[in-house]
Amino acid sequence: MSSMTFGQKPFQVIPPEKGAFPLDHAGECKSIMVSFMRCLHDNKNVNAYCREEARQYLDCRMKNNLMAKEEWRNLGYPEFDEKLQNENKS
Amino acid sequence: MFPAVKLLCRSGALSSRLFQLGTTAPSFSTFLHGIAPSASQCSRCLTTLQKTAVCRTLNSSSGPSRSFLPIFTCSKGRLAPAINRRSVLWASTQRQVNQSNQKSNKTIFIYISSVFIVMIGVSYVAVPLYRLFCAATGFGGVPLTGYESKLDSLVPVKERILKIKFNADTASSMQWSFRPQQPEVTVVPGETALAFYKAKNPTDKPILGISTYNVIPYEAGPYFNKIQCFCFEEQRLNPHEEVDMPVFFYIDPDIMDDPRLEKIEQITLSYTFFESKEGMTVPLPGYMQAEQ
Repeated sequence: MSSMTFGQKPFQVIPPEKGAFPLDHAGECKSIMVSFMRCLHDNKNVNAYCREEARQYLDCRMKNNLMAKEEWRNLGYPEFDEKLQNENKS
Repeated sequence: MFPAVKLLCRSGALSSRLFQLGTTAPSFSTFLHGIAPSASQCSRCLTTLQKTAVCRTLNSSSGPSRSFLPIFTCSKGRLAPAINRRSVLWASTQRQVNQSNQKSNKTIFIYISSVFIVMIGVSYVAVPLYRLFCAATGFGGVPLTGYESKLDSLVPVKERILKIKFNADTASSMQWSFRPQQPEVTVVPGETALAFYKAKNPTDKPILGISTYNVIPYEAGPYFNKIQCFCFEEQRLNPHEEVDMPVFFYIDPDIMDDPRLEKIEQITLSYTFFESKEGMTVPLPGYMQAEQ
């Protein structure tokens, strides 16, 4: 499909920055995913309102060894990193 | 025939004192007595010669000798003597000319063969050189080596609102049911977003799938940065298993500076799953292995 583009510039495929997600065969984070989907549905699919649920999903993945542990600031959540630091200080 | 040859004998470089036309019929077996014809070309007009007669040498002191010299005639009728004093000089100059010709031929041959070998060498060297060039300049979509991830300095650009639509396809022989879990997501550049696809294996045997993606419009492809997804790696689904596949991505804030994408409000992310055999890899550029 995307390879039948004779004469057109081919689409340049970029691999993901942190590789591929391992599949969640055991469904350990499925409930969090469902709450995230519900949040999206309620907020008319605007991502900005459901960032906390997304962060919880990624947190669940990290806890269950389905994702390499990363600092939140490297995943686009700098505010959460600051919150953690504040909590640790206090 | 003979009178003509006689004429030819006389008109050539040989004087009739030295040669006398032999009355014997031309006999090619006799002329090889010690003398090999040194030229098959007329040394004056350079046309190919034919042996037409045999002349016998006359030695003034010892009478007619036994050596027979071949007479060569060329089409123009001029005689090119096989050998005599003058022809020895002529032959020697000819030999020098030949030698210099040969030498220049040899030089030319050496030049050409060296150019040929250099070209082969360049074509071998070009492969790693090109790879280095692409890695240094990022030309042709190769990610720059030493490219710093922008993730830790992302700032959401709240002015530009983009709608990301999700599309899911499977190859016709692929029996998974594969679909997005949300039809679209509204994001702004610089904001990380999460989206889900769902895949189910309805058959009774495990199926391995490998996926690739596409972004439409093509120009938005470089700005669609996936932090983590499920593409390009073999994924295994057991019989009757259903699994959620997340995609964690963000849109590069540099999209604000691209004039071609100024009016774009909608970007479509399309994933396609193919069935893969065990151990099959999608042919990807080498940087994919370096990532792991």
